[in-house]
Amino acid sequence: MRKLTAFAAAFAAAVVFTGCTEIAQEPGKSYAGKEDSKPYAGDEFKGDKGKWEATLAQRSKGQDDYARIVSEKK
Amino acid sequence: MARMKFICDAERCIECNGCVTACKSEHEVPWGVNRRRLVTVNDGLPGERSISVACMHCTDAPCMAVCPVDCFYKTEEGVVLHDKDLCIGCGYCFYACPFGAPQFPQAGAFGLRGKMDKCTFCAGGPEENNTAEEYRKYGRNRLAEGKLPACAEMCSTKALLAGDADVLTRIYKTRVVTRGKGEEIWGWSMAYGGSGMLADQPGAKA
Repeated sequence: MRKLTAFAAAFAAAVVFTGCTEIAQEPGKSYAGKEDSKPYAGDEFKGDKGKWEATLAQRSKGQDDYARIVSEKK
Repeated sequence: MARMKFICDAERCIECNGCVTACKSEHEVPWGVNRRRLVTVNDGLPGERSISVACMHCTDAPCMAVCPVDCFYKTEEGVVLHDKDLCIGCGYCFYACPFGAPQFPQAGAFGLRGKMDKCTFCAGGPEENNTAEEYRKYGRNRLAEGKLPACAEMCSTKALLAGDADVLTRIYKTRVVTRGKGEEIWGWSMAYGGSGMLADQPGAKA
């Protein structure tokens, strides 16, 4: 009886914890095409990912016209 | 870096078609193919809104799931791209896409479909960066030049934003707080799952 209770408890716990599993967002399919080169691999950034990210972040922030107005007023 | 995304602020879009023209011009997109287009609802009525629509580079992209030749891939930055050398122009991706992003040039008589063409987030495709081959197949690779997509950078009212999701949500938050309305981010819940409200986005909490 004790074994059965333990088994039932373990089964119930497994069912409950299944709900906590995060479903993978990436599709499980493989890509059959050619390998793409990294955007920071060219002559412009010479493989420097940090520099590339900083450049893009700067560009992204440039879209904030409220921040631009404040900085132009100063 | 988080993920590259587009936001179209429907409160700001004035339907000028600048984004559409910028995209066409930047990539020399063939006649009959529109990687980006404008959709207007309630045209001519009070409450009219326009939205600039292109590939949203979905988290769980349906086009990737249905492609029979597996020609789609996703870059580290979350940009959904495809290999035109593999594409057979079957059109499954067009039927799967909730945004109508995949476009097909006419490749012959009787409406024969060519290889699929869509927004690349100005990130080119699976060819050497900024080569003539990449330009011919996929258009210009602005991301490799450290630039954002041409459509967003061209937008005169900055209705269309592109870039890192965290930065975009912060910009959008400032706008919503300042004008006191327009919290809904068009297309986000469909493209990335979860909520399409600004308050529920991770970047908006900061």
